[in-house]
Amino acid sequence: MTSHAPSLDSGSRVGAARRSPTPARRTRRQTRKLFLLPAGIFLALLSFYPLVQLLRMSVSAVTSATLNSPWAFVGLENFAAGFRSGQTTAGLERTLVFVVVVTALGMGLGLAAAIALRTKGRWSGALLALMVFTWALPPVVNGSVWKFLLGDAGLVNTVLQATGLREAPVPFLYDQYWALLSVAFVNSFAVIPFNALVFRAALMNIEPEVFEAAALDGANRWHEIRHIMLPSVRPTTLVLLVLTIVYGFRSFDFIYVMTYGGPGTATNTLPFLGYLQAFVRYDFGLGAATSVVTVLGVLVLAAVYARSIRREEAES
Amino acid sequence: MNRRSGPVVAGVKVLLTLMYGLPILWIVLTSFKSSADVVGTQSSIFFRPVLTAYVDALDGALVDALRQSVIVATGTTALVLLLAIPAAYGLARTTGWLPTLGLGLLIVLQMMPQTATVIPLFQVFASWGLLDSALGVIFADAALLIPFATLLLRPFFRSVPPQLEEAGALDGASVLRTFWSIVLPVARNGVYTVGTLIFLLAWGEFLYAVNFFLSPGSYPLSALLAQQVSAFGIDWPGLMALAVLTSIPILIVFAATYRRLRDGLTVGAVK
Repeated sequence: MTSHAPSLDSGSRVGAARRSPTPARRTRRQTRKLFLLPAGIFLALLSFYPLVQLLRMSVSAVTSATLNSPWAFVGLENFAAGFRSGQTTAGLERTLVFVVVVTALGMGLGLAAAIALRTKGRWSGALLALMVFTWALPPVVNGSVWKFLLGDAGLVNTVLQATGLREAPVPFLYDQYWALLSVAFVNSFAVIPFNALVFRAALMNIEPEVFEAAALDGANRWHEIRHIMLPSVRPTTLVLLVLTIVYGFRSFDFIYVMTYGGPGTATNTLPFLGYLQAFVRYDFGLGAATSVVTVLGVLVLAAVYARSIRREEAES
Repeated sequence: MNRRSGPVVAGVKVLLTLMYGLPILWIVLTSFKSSADVVGTQSSIFFRPVLTAYVDALDGALVDALRQSVIVATGTTALVLLLAIPAAYGLARTTGWLPTLGLGLLIVLQMMPQTATVIPLFQVFASWGLLDSALGVIFADAALLIPFATLLLRPFFRSVPPQLEEAGALDGASVLRTFWSIVLPVARNGVYTVGTLIFLLAWGEFLYAVNFFLSPGSYPLSALLAQQVSAFGIDWPGLMALAVLTSIPILIVFAATYRRLRDGLTVGAVK
């Protein structure tokens, strides 16, 4: 599930700094910082400490047998092993393909859906509700039904064969190349409703007068989209783009449900590869190293994200 | 605005209706089929509906899984709101390096892949004795969702007019009291929206549940479904019946909160 863009500036009141705060007001502000404490302590214990452990693990020899005994330091050996075997590189490439497909479909169809569902009406309303409901369903449910639909005797292949488009069923989930694309498609299926909602909110902000004026000037549907709608969703697009990329990058649930990384290693994206190495092959050191590479990718994306939010705020 | 909704728009709507309507329809249809009905072709629309899959699915194990799902999802929602509400308020109303750093860290944490955090958490929980307990999964889910909840709640608190609080302060109310009786009621829509989202996410979470519960006997519904769908020789009607049963609480929550979700979801993203 994708998530939300906060603004990065922390000033809550414009001009608050210029007013010289009375001592009482300053004390109140200090008191408010205490509100951060409970969540801070909790995250320090359950998010940051585990991340430190992940880093330590990635430079140690750890198997499931030695998980809770002292770990032997091996330096960068786990990272080297990952790259030497070609698994890390292959995982990176698959992740890249996966992210490109999810992002292209998720953004493109998300915007198309927002434009189509912008109009009021029973069909649009019901369709939007259906899409948001699908988005709210657990990924395991969506993944299960698509695994069923994309099977050899599933609905998609039945329709393809009945209409004569294909002689033999398409091996959606067990062909090396199809599998990655199929899972990426289902991932974008799951993110399109959210993107459509966000785009739709941006489109709803356009004054109706703008469309009326354009209609007077003889603008057709395409002109409306190109010259009114696209410019008005541009700031949103940037933030949503980064969010969708992150969503695709860290995604694992549909891979888990639909292919479990297979066939062979065909859907071993980087995050899922790290998981398999730790929990299926019980090499926690290697899995941790792969995950650290994933985390580094996330840090890069987080920096891009922070910059794009700043830019959006500067524009609006 | 309907005046020129041309063929392209209608085409997009037909495509989306098929894309999102058919899967739901198929889950429900298949759950009422007998196993024999899906052997030959899985796509028949006409068949004799049977309740076999539901009768088979509704055993003691399912009730246990349902109970576990309720415990994990409500426990996570309560813990997340308890910690994220004050944090979001604190971040909305303070200035300086601390909230800026806090926001940056929350963004990074919210982007962390779950597959990366499950590895060290497994080891940490093993040494803390939290494996195979609902409490461990609740803690892990809360750590996963607190950044998201805090970032989403913050704009709701920022939109509460500070003058309201200043009025409270002039009346001599403490910070805690103004927060509790003035700010929180004004921002309650945001709290409901975020609470709903956290519940939905916690209900669907399965990776922590599959790994931190050591036997399928204590799995919640989502984990049970994940385990069955990645097994060989899937019993599709049974699986779809399980999927329907897993989704019914989501449908209830969704029906009660759709309007708020639709409008509230985008508050944090588009400002």
